[in-house]
Formats: sequence, structure tokens, C-alpha cells
Amino acid sequence: MIVAASTAAGSNLLVVAVLIAGVTAGTSILFAALGETISERAGIINVGTEGCMLCGALGAYAAASATGNPWFGVLAGALAGGLLALVHAYMVLNRGANQLASGLALFFMGLGLTSLFGAPYVSKQVDTFSKVAIPGLSKIPAIGDIFFNQDPLTYLSFVTAPAVWFLLFRTRWGLMLRGAGERGEVLRAYGHSTVKVRYAAVVSGGMLAGIGGAQLALVVALAWFENMVQGRGFIAVALVIFAAWDPIKAMGGAWLFGAALALGPELQVRNAGVNQFLLDALPYVITLVVLIVLARKRLESAPEALADVFEGSRVVSSP
Amino acid sequence: MTVTTTTEPAAPSAAPESPVPVREASPSRAARMARSVGRWVLAYLGALALFGLLAWLKGVNPFEMYMEMWSSTFTSRSAIGEVLLKGAPFILAALAVAVPARAGLVNIGGEGQVVMGTVGAAGAALALESRLAPWAMILVMVLAAAGAGALWAGIAAGLRLKTGINEAISTLLLNYIALDVVLFLIYDRWKDASGFGQPASRPLLSSSRLPLIFDAGRLNIGIFIAIGSALAVWAVLRYTSWGFKLKVAGGNAEAARRAGLSVGALVLSAMLVGGALAGIAGMVHFAGVEGQLRSGITFTFGYVGFLASWLARHDPLKIIGAGLLLGAISVAGDSLQIDAGLPAATVNILMALVLFAVLAAGRRTQGARS
Amino acid sequence: MTTFRRMLFALLAVCALVLTACASNSASTSSSDSDSSTASETPGTGGSAIGFLYVGPKDDYGYNQAAAQGAAELGEAFPDYEILEAESVPETAEVEQKAEQMISQGAKIIFTTSYGYKDYALNLAEKHPDVVFLQQGNTLEGDIPNNIGTYFGNVYEPVYLAGIAAGKATTSNKLGYVAAFPIPQTLLNINAFELGAQSVNPDAETYTVFTSAWCDPGKQSQAAESLLNQGVDVLTQHQDCTSTITQAAEKAGASVVGYHADASELAPEGWLTGSEWDWGPLYIDMVTTIDAEEFAGGKYNGNYRVGYKKTADDAVDAPLVQSAFGPSVTDETKTEIAAAKEEISTTGSPFAGPVYDQDGNVVIEDGVIPEYSELESMDYLVQGVVGEIPAS
Repeated sequence: MIVAASTAAGSNLLVVAVLIAGVTAGTSILFAALGETISERAGIINVGTEGCMLCGALGAYAAASATGNPWFGVLAGALAGGLLALVHAYMVLNRGANQLASGLALFFMGLGLTSLFGAPYVSKQVDTFSKVAIPGLSKIPAIGDIFFNQDPLTYLSFVTAPAVWFLLFRTRWGLMLRGAGERGEVLRAYGHSTVKVRYAAVVSGGMLAGIGGAQLALVVALAWFENMVQGRGFIAVALVIFAAWDPIKAMGGAWLFGAALALGPELQVRNAGVNQFLLDALPYVITLVVLIVLARKRLESAPEALADVFEGSRVVSSP
Repeated sequence: MTVTTTTEPAAPSAAPESPVPVREASPSRAARMARSVGRWVLAYLGALALFGLLAWLKGVNPFEMYMEMWSSTFTSRSAIGEVLLKGAPFILAALAVAVPARAGLVNIGGEGQVVMGTVGAAGAALALESRLAPWAMILVMVLAAAGAGALWAGIAAGLRLKTGINEAISTLLLNYIALDVVLFLIYDRWKDASGFGQPASRPLLSSSRLPLIFDAGRLNIGIFIAIGSALAVWAVLRYTSWGFKLKVAGGNAEAARRAGLSVGALVLSAMLVGGALAGIAGMVHFAGVEGQLRSGITFTFGYVGFLASWLARHDPLKIIGAGLLLGAISVAGDSLQIDAGLPAATVNILMALVLFAVLAAGRRTQGARS
Repeated sequence: MTTFRRMLFALLAVCALVLTACASNSASTSSSDSDSSTASETPGTGGSAIGFLYVGPKDDYGYNQAAAQGAAELGEAFPDYEILEAESVPETAEVEQKAEQMISQGAKIIFTTSYGYKDYALNLAEKHPDVVFLQQGNTLEGDIPNNIGTYFGNVYEPVYLAGIAAGKATTSNKLGYVAAFPIPQTLLNINAFELGAQSVNPDAETYTVFTSAWCDPGKQSQAAESLLNQGVDVLTQHQDCTSTITQAAEKAGASVVGYHADASELAPEGWLTGSEWDWGPLYIDMVTTIDAEEFAGGKYNGNYRVGYKKTADDAVDAPLVQSAFGPSVTDETKTEIAAAKEEISTTGSPFAGPVYDQDGNVVIEDGVIPEYSELESMDYLVQGVVGEIPAS
């Protein structure tokens, strides 16, 4: 928001336009980041989120085209994303594979599988989601357009983020899940299996990433194309740390990133005369800068088990 | 302890022919060797079988597919040359992961560092090509590429030391920024004035390109640079005190600090060396194969290097084999689409399956608990 | 000791590979001898296959699909040739590797269908005098070897005609163009579109957004949204995959001008017209020419360009087609488009002078009808286009 305002040069319209587009653009990333938050809270990082999103996008598009109902698409997208994440869970939890290596392989896997099975869907047309104005709320100036004149999946993300927060911090299951990420031995002492909890976390993470892919296919692109996620899954992984493993902050992070993405075209149509490629780099630079500003606080909230993934994290966490 | 801690990926003992069992055992040694080899063969065969199944689902005869992949990759001079040509930057990009890994660092930024290497090499060539002897130009390009790659990795190392941002995240973001740097340059400052407005830098003079090994074909000395670097990294990590300190810091930073090591300096130096190696990977491809800076010329090299380093469990010598293996897979991948008519990206599945197989098969050799 | 043994293994493996390379090097000298013996015959003949290289997926509903469609038609016309295809081949040295593999499988004719393949095609042509390389787009200079040629159609001509339809259809006088990168081919299309619109509607402006990607549907959707929010009521694009923007326009109730493919079914209300490729007849004629041993020195052994202006030398029609009109296009508009097409087909050009750039400078003098080759390195946007390109 700060960024949009400072470049707006006083034009209120630009801020609103950027935020409207930013929420739409950020939603797929938000779903993936929420999923990754669950997964990482249980101590498993999935760098292959990009692959889960691709599977979700194709699964959603294929199912929507087979059934004619985009909601079946969302369901199938979640399943496809979850299935791919299951591979990651198996590799990491049963085969003791390194999480980062398995995650990157998962990305290559998702990219290849969706390209192999996706070709017939490129020229298919399906029923997609449209914007639905929420009566009353959508009339609020600016806010109404930004938040309450969106598509059903964006509304779903408004609900999902607090739901994930509630799940993680206010339920027994969340306690167990965070326990698996912080102190597995305590969990085991109480007779629970960390492996089961982590399986559940990784697979739900993949399912949410799959819904993110579904949003990209059924709301944004209205199509399926090979490699259409274009790095949004990798950004989601970065945003989880940005958001300090907090689902609510992940909303802010995803929308900020989305807004930074949206700023490029909005400035171009206003003939602002800024180099196209500098605008392209902006979302990544902003993310990096915000990370730097917030860095210290963020690290303290990292799930402990993750420190084992980033083996050397110990190097910095002790002063 | 948690399950994740049972993986100690940076440790070379993860290798199948791990030195520990070899030293201790005499009676069951052969049996153990056989079991270990058997498991690895099984893992690779499993990967191939799964991939064959997928191809079969798409109506492709897996046996014919593998025959064609084999014959198109290993039965002609030019195809083997291609494997070595492709393998060279993969090896270097894998070393860029392996050196930081020794210090316990995760460098996912090979992709961006390779790209910056091409920028460094191209920049050096644009500035100095007319003024230097060919051999000096090549040397300067190597240095500039190494410098640019090291700079890009150094940003991540600096951020980690100053602010604690994990290098896995910062290098990931820097990858995207590096691509925009290239686009900015080739559409603006570095655009070849006589290139019909196309976004590419001025082509290298043929004298500035890496010399070819054979008169025919495209195979250049890049493969020697890559193998030489792997041997050098192996020797440095094994025989110098720096290499030893990296390992100590990577094993237990706290102990290293108590022992009086400057962990910060080690982190920084490991990342700088990694970035420099990635930069050289970019130079080898730029000056050996492309000769012009364009967008996407080293697409996915860094990520493939990451896979290669993990395939080799960060062992510099095995990285030579892993880099060439992935080079071979990517050459064989051409046959997948030209002969079998599968989409180009299908080869990524095979790469992933091979890595999964190796990750899965490597487990028990570490004595990990289930 | 073990480490040493491991190192030895690794070294041995590499030596073995290099040795194999050397060994088969000497082995293949004989085969390359036999190559050169066929080379003394006519280049491009005696092969069993024809190769196609595409820069993107061949089912992208766009540029590459159009080329693949042409390849399929070619395959039907010449059942004796096997069609070998490689898709998503980046404009890098990958091109040579893929082509080499096709050659080793009996291809004597190779179509390199992306603009940026030219340098690689030239290298290949030098290395394989017996193989004909047909480069889609771009220009060869100097002495052209007798086994290579470039071909292209003036696709900006139907884009100009579509601009007329857009200029007539707009009520806000704001047209939107979503492009990928500011390369000359894209600038040609944007400018032709704006000039076409201006020719019937002097107030029409074309707002341009560059996405820095040939197929990123997420960015396309954002660009379309931004343009529509500016009051743009006709959208068009120069992207490899095209269905996202077409549907975005239809959903917003805007008109849409297509590119690469007839996507009228995606926009039954808003579809105006568009520009498509139809490569089949040209591909077939080129291969027929090669088979008849008439390639070397012929019109295809150079920079072959064809547009609506056809000469006696042009055996087939231009490989570009104006897409069918949508329901909202009036008869008056159709008549104007037909007249403009007639003029381009005879004496005119979309870029008939005077043409002014964004700063109002004359870039093509009054009365000048520029040659295709002059336009091919276009690096400016014309007056009436709203947008920014990097200075060069």
C-alpha cells in the first residue's frame, strides 16, 4: 500500500486500481502461501509448491471442462495439488530425503507431468468464475471495489486465511501440528506420531497450493497453458517467511506482492515512462526490501524443525 | 529428535560406497557392496520403469522410446559431444551448490548467479574485446563472470550475516531480479546496433570464443574447465584448512565458534566461491556456445545444477558424473519429442524421478531411523 | 584411499566418454564423407524426413500452433516424408542440437520457425551443405549459401485492416494492445494497428502494455484489466497464447481483435476480426521447389517476402489471412476494409508516408512506400500510440 501510494503521485485512482488488481493477482499466491504455512509450521518446507500449483491449475481446468462446473474444478485442483505433495511427504518422511532437494525435484515433476497431460486442454473452453459483487459492501467507496467486487475464489481466500490461523493457533490439531514443527519429541512423549501429523500438513499444504493453481486457471487466465504458474509458487514459499509463518500476515504479503505485479501495467497505461524491465523487477525487490526491514523479528518465529533444513541457520540465530 | 534431523545431506558419508563400512568390514564387505549396488540399480530401474509407464499411458511404446533415447544420445560422436557440452555448465552450477553446502548453506541462487556470469562475461567482452589478445580476453571474461556471480551470491551472504535472512529465500528472489537485469541490458545499453533491433548483445568475435576440442562439432574446452574446477574444489575442500573449517562450521556452527573460527567469514567466503563457480558456468556457456547475450540462454541451468549437486551428495568428484548424467538426460530428452512425439517438458519428469530414486536409495546408507 | 579410488573412477568415466567421442569422431569421418557425396547432389533432396523447430509449445493456440498446422498439412501433402518436430526450443544454441538430431534421422529439409533461430540456421547451413534450412522471418545479408532462405509474410497488413475495424468500432477512441517485448515485429504490428485505426478515426489512440513474457496468462489478464479500466473498448494482442485476453475482453463487454488464431468462439459478441497465419500452401510450395531441384538460386533461396501484393513470381497466396468478421462489424466497415486491402494489394502500404513517430518527427516521408526490408528493424512507435519503449 505504501508503495502504491508513493508512486501514485497523488492519483487516488491509481492506488485503487493497483489494489483491485493486486488482490486478484495475489490470491493464487495467497492460497499457496497459506498451504506452505501449514506445511512449514509442521516442520516441512515444500519448495515444489510451484509444481503443486501447476497440477492444481491443470486438474482444475480438466475437471471444469469435464463436468462444466468450476467448483468441481477447484476440488480437482486441490486433489491434484495434494497428490503431488504426497510424493514430497513420502520422500521426506518415509525415505528421509532432504526437503529442499525433494521439493525442487517435485517442481520438475509437476512441470513435466502437467506438460505431458495438459496438451489436450490448451484449446478447450470451460465455464470459469466471474466477479460477484457483494450487495451493500461493494458500494463502499474504494474498499468495496478492492475487496467486495471480486470472484468467489478470492472471497474463499478471505475466509481461508483466518480459518488457517484459527486451525493453527486455536485448535488441538493446530497445537499438535505446531508441536511437530517445534518439538517432535514432546509430541511423541504424549503418544502421537509426528509422521502422521506432518503427512497431513504437507498434503493439506499441497491442496491449498492446488486451489491457488485453480484460481489462476479459472479466474485469472481462463485457460490452461504449459508452465502457466510462472514462478508464483516459488514466491509463495518466500512469502511464508516474509509473513513470519502467520496466515493473516500472509494475506498482507500476498496482496503487497500482487499489487507490485499490478503496478507495472497500471503505470504503462498511464504512460508513466518507466522502463518496463525495472517495473518487472519491482515485486522481487520490494519483497526483498520488506524482508530486510522485518528480518530480525521474523527469524524468531521460525518453527524450530526448519532450522534443520536450513542447516546453517544456527549460524545466525545465536548472536 | 525429529525425522528431518536424520538427514545429514551435507555429509559425504551419504555416499553409497561410504568410507565407514569399507574400512571396518572384511567378512560381509562384498555382500554389503552388492546390496548397496543392487539398491542403486533398483532405484534407477524403478525410475525408468515409472517413466516408461507414463509414456505408455500417452500411447508411446516405452521400449522403443528407451532404445531411441539410447541410440540418439550415446551412439554418435556429435551426440556424445552434446552431452559433454551440456554437462559442463551443469557441473559448474552444481559445484556452486556444493561449496556453500559444505558450510551448511543452501544456495538456490545458482540460476541467478549463472545469469550474472553471462552478464559479466558479456560486459567484459563489450568493453575490452578490441583491446585484448584472444587468450587474455577469455581469461578476463572468466574473471568478470566469476566476479559477477560472486557479487550476486555475496548479496545473499551479506543479507544473511547482517540481517539473518536465509540465503535460500534471498537467492531465490535474486534469481528473478537477475533475469530482469539481462532484459534491461539487451533492450537498452547493450543492444547490438547492427542487429535489426533484436534484443541481443553484439556477437563475440570468433577469436574470443572458447576454443573447440575437435575441428568439427561444437564441443569446446568448457568441459575441461568444468572438470578442472571440480578437481580443484575437491582438492581445496580436502586438503586446505579453509576446506576443513567450512566442514566444521557446516557440521556445528556453535562448536566452530567456540573453537575460535570466524563463522561469518566462512559463510561469506563459501557463498562467494559458490557464486564465482556459477558465474563461470555462465561464462562457459556464453563464450563457448552462445556468443551473444540474449534472454534465457542459461534457462534452468542453476536449478539443474542444484539437482546435480544433490545427486552427487555435494561430492565434487561425483558431481562430474552427476552433471554429465543430467547432460545426457537432457540430450536424450530431445529424442522424447522428436521420436516419441511427447511434449518437450516431459524430460523434467525423468530428471525428477532419477533424483527421487537417488534420494530414496541413499537413505539407509546413512543409518537413518525409520 | 577410498576417496582416491572414487576420484579415479570419476576420471576414468570421463576419459571413457571423451575417448568414445574421439573414437566415434574418426568413425564418423567416413559417414561425413558420404554426406558430402550426397551434397554434390542437390541440397535438400534424398531425405526421408522434414524437421520443424518451434519456439513454444505447438498447441499454444497461437504462433507455434499455426506453424505446426502448416507442418501437418505438409505431411499430408508429402506422405513419404516423416515430419519431425521439436517444440519449446529456445532461441539459443539448443537449435543446433535439435536440428543435428533431426539430420541424423534423415531430415534434409528443416524449417526453423522462429525469428531468433537465424544465426543458428546459418551455422547449420554452413555445416550441412546437403540440407536445406528454411528460416521463418528475419533477413540474411551478403552472400547467401545455396541451401538456406528466409520467408515471411507481411502480417502487419491484415493487422492494419483489423485496425480499421477497431477504429470504427471504438466509442471511447481508446484501443488496447497487449504485447510481450518491444522487438521490431511487435512494433510493426502495434504501429500498423494504430495507423489502420487512424485512417478511419483520427482520434483513435492505441494504449500499449508490454508483459515481458510471450505466454504468462496472469500478466496478460492484468494488462487487459488495466487497459479496460482506462476506458479501452477494443483489445488486441501480440502474444503466443491468446485465449486469456480474448476472453477477458468478452467478459468485460469490450470488442476484441484476434491474432494468430481465429478465436471468435471465445468471444461470440465482441469479436471483430483478426490476423492469422496459413502456412500450409507456402510450406508445400517450398518443399515442391526443393524436390524439383529448383531451390538453389530460386526465389526461396534468399529473403522471400509475400504480402497482399502478389507478383507473377509468387506461386501461392500470402501465408496470412484476415479472420472472419464478428457480428458487430458493419457493412460500411467491411467495404472500407476491402478498399484498403485492394490498395495494399496494388500500390499502397500500411506505412505509406507520411508517418510520424510519438514525438511528431517524420519517420517515413510523404509519398514514400517503404520496402519490407526497411521496416524490419523498426524501433519507434507512431503518433497516436500511448506507451513507452526502451531507448536504443
